[in-house]
Amino acid sequence: MNTTALIYSFKSNKSAQVAEKIKELWNGEIILLDADDLTVEKFMPFKNYILSVPTWFDGELPKSWDEFVPALEDLNLKGKLFAIYGNGDQVNYSENFADAVGIMADLLEFLGGKIVGYTSLEGYSFEKSKAQRGSQFCGLVLDFENQAKQNNERIVRWVEQLKKEFQ
Amino acid sequence: MKLRKDLKYGIKQTDKELLLNWYKLMRLGRTIDDRAPNYLKQSIGWSYHAPYAGHDGIQLAIGQVFEKQKDHLYPYYRDMLTVISAGMTAEEIILNGISKATDPSSGGRHMSNHFAKPEWNIHNVSSCTGNHAQHAVGTARAMKYYKGGGVVISSQGESSVSEGYVYEAINGSSSEQLPVIFVFQDNGYGISVPKKEQTANRKVADNFSGFKNLRIFYCNGKDVFDSMNVMYEAKQWVLENQKPAIVHANCVRIHSHSNSDRHELYRDQAELTYVAEYDPLAKYRRMLLRYERATEEELTAIDEEVKAIVKEAHKRALVAPDPDPKSIFDFVTPEPYVSTTYPTGLHSYNGTPLKLVEALNQTLRAEFRRNPDTFLWGQDVANKDKGGVFNVTKNMQKEFGRERVFNAPIAEDYIVGTANGMSRYSDTIRVVIEGAEFADYFWPAMEQLVDTSHDYWRSNGKFSPNITIRLASGGYIGGGLYHSQNIEGALITLPGIRIVYPSFADDAAGLLRTAIRSRGITLFLEPKALYNDPKAATPVPDDFEVPFGVARIRRPGTDLTVLTYGNTTHLCLDAAQQLEQQYQVSAEVIDLRSLMPLDYNTILQSVKKTGKVVIVHEDKVIGGVGGEIAAFIIENAFEYLDAPIMRVGSTFTPVGFNPILEKAILPDTEKIFNKMLELWKY
Repeated sequence: MNTTALIYSFKSNKSAQVAEKIKELWNGEIILLDADDLTVEKFMPFKNYILSVPTWFDGELPKSWDEFVPALEDLNLKGKLFAIYGNGDQVNYSENFADAVGIMADLLEFLGGKIVGYTSLEGYSFEKSKAQRGSQFCGLVLDFENQAKQNNERIVRWVEQLKKEFQ
Repeated sequence: MKLRKDLKYGIKQTDKELLLNWYKLMRLGRTIDDRAPNYLKQSIGWSYHAPYAGHDGIQLAIGQVFEKQKDHLYPYYRDMLTVISAGMTAEEIILNGISKATDPSSGGRHMSNHFAKPEWNIHNVSSCTGNHAQHAVGTARAMKYYKGGGVVISSQGESSVSEGYVYEAINGSSSEQLPVIFVFQDNGYGISVPKKEQTANRKVADNFSGFKNLRIFYCNGKDVFDSMNVMYEAKQWVLENQKPAIVHANCVRIHSHSNSDRHELYRDQAELTYVAEYDPLAKYRRMLLRYERATEEELTAIDEEVKAIVKEAHKRALVAPDPDPKSIFDFVTPEPYVSTTYPTGLHSYNGTPLKLVEALNQTLRAEFRRNPDTFLWGQDVANKDKGGVFNVTKNMQKEFGRERVFNAPIAEDYIVGTANGMSRYSDTIRVVIEGAEFADYFWPAMEQLVDTSHDYWRSNGKFSPNITIRLASGGYIGGGLYHSQNIEGALITLPGIRIVYPSFADDAAGLLRTAIRSRGITLFLEPKALYNDPKAATPVPDDFEVPFGVARIRRPGTDLTVLTYGNTTHLCLDAAQQLEQQYQVSAEVIDLRSLMPLDYNTILQSVKKTGKVVIVHEDKVIGGVGGEIAAFIIENAFEYLDAPIMRVGSTFTPVGFNPILEKAILPDTEKIFNKMLELWKY
């Protein structure tokens, strides 16, 4: 498997916890990158990516990714594989649950990237989510506020899935 | 998929000069926003300050798309950057903040942080949050009618959308298809109340998703480019389609609601850190540097320039003149139309008598023919041969068209609020509204009426709502609590409103003409029991005018004075006649006609002549107009009185529906006669 870039905000709390867990479970080579300090040069060298994209406010990208989007838009991501995880709150933000995962997936796909790591909607209850693709999420959605006890199991399962889907 | 780089505005494609100008505006706004609390700490002023930090993107965008003197802008109390972005200077902002006489919004009369510049169409708005949404709709109605080519922008916080009058405004703009943009600046809180306790949808704009003709736009109000693109697109859409739009802008509130709020009492540190993390100004600065659209040196130079601008503005504002306490009586009510033909409000015309309802209808039509900038609306006022429940406006729509005479939804506040707004478009406009089907149903309009009553004073004379509010009033028709009551006693407490209440057809015509030709608000109360009563029919000169504040002696007398108006004028005349016939007592019956202003001179002259006064009105004795008149007489003519001032009016109860109850409650000829006799015998 190619080297995987795991990109998340180093200043974050929950996203960083998940990143630590993924790193722990990952067998292959993995490089950690700070989403707050991202440049095209740091971003581009990889084939496989795991991105942490939590949803901020009422369905927005987090600051780190939002500010990188203008740079991202100029890139050709053909041939690259992206797996996205993101924290959301299905009770208090039921109308835009984990939207940021879907927003980022849309953009990456438009730029030629391929999204992997789809997960089932089973076990979640929400009104709307831009991360929803049919009966699946286009990534791993975690809910620290309401389903924290399921995080570990969901992460473990997802990492195993990525190991198969990444090349 | 549309990429950011393909949009009109973006960090890469926007011209550098414009980017730096935006940075300067944002830095200027934030510098004043951050300094504002210091004025209060130093006891200089600005006791009300609602910081906007966290709303920077959308406020910059509103101001940037606004074209002064073409568009109209209704900012709310948190819109400091909006008005700075629209062109107001640091000095003007501080003058408002510390309530100086030269404050362009109100000369120190209105609360601080209520920014306005009426000469640019940046309107002076209420502190009743969101109530200007109705004014915006009224202005948009005029914008469309006069083909002004602009848009009206109404800005408010998301929690104020809970107000019923905001629903009325958006509903009306949707049904009338008007060019107005409602901007909801959503920072998640109404003071300390989280938005989930205001409405079920997280984005309150979604509450309006079923409204026809209305398009809803969403944007990140913290982000300059998203806000700019969406406001630009919304404006273009509204201009092209001549329909309303909502822009829902997600913001954060970095500070407390205002300087009387302490957000640390209800927000934890994690939340405060979270919102501060997304400081829109810091983000914009980072983006300029990250994408090499500005250098650190360039931005620092702007920071320094802004510091100097604010320092200079501060110095100039501190030495600006304070309001003169002697000016408090300026701009309470605009000067009325002055009649040169009938300066005393009397005539000697002997033509065929007209009923009161005919006199009103003919006067309305004559005034609408004379002045093309006249408009009339209300509930039930125009449908084929029907013109109001009493047909006062019969055939007006046929003659003047649907754009000038039209039905309003059953929303009394909206009827008044849009009259206010339409007046703001041009001082030449004169609006006549039927405020409600019956005066008793007018109470839902109190919010707009009260606000409109002080607009002229609050704007330091810069805006006069020119509105005649017609209401079918009073009892003697067996209408009960919702069709037979009077409201003038309650409303006369509001400075800024004229109140007239005629008893005869000629005075009704003359007062209505004066009201329509005057600037300001006139509450025109019509005694509905007299619309078709032959007793109230009189000859009416075609051009008759009755000045405000001029009473009419309907029956001269020498033994006692009867002061009255409306329905009871006729009862008093009957009672006076009986008194003369049975006791040879000569009662002088004065029809006040105008309650605010009041004809003090005629009252005093009569009191000095007779020494005895009874005040009769249909409204309640307690809290009625008679109490004020009695106090005036006591203060100014006590030595002429030979008896206590007596009053006749309704009991301190609602008016009952059963005629037995109504009779027990309302004044009648017998009650008045007995009181006059008691007074004479005293």
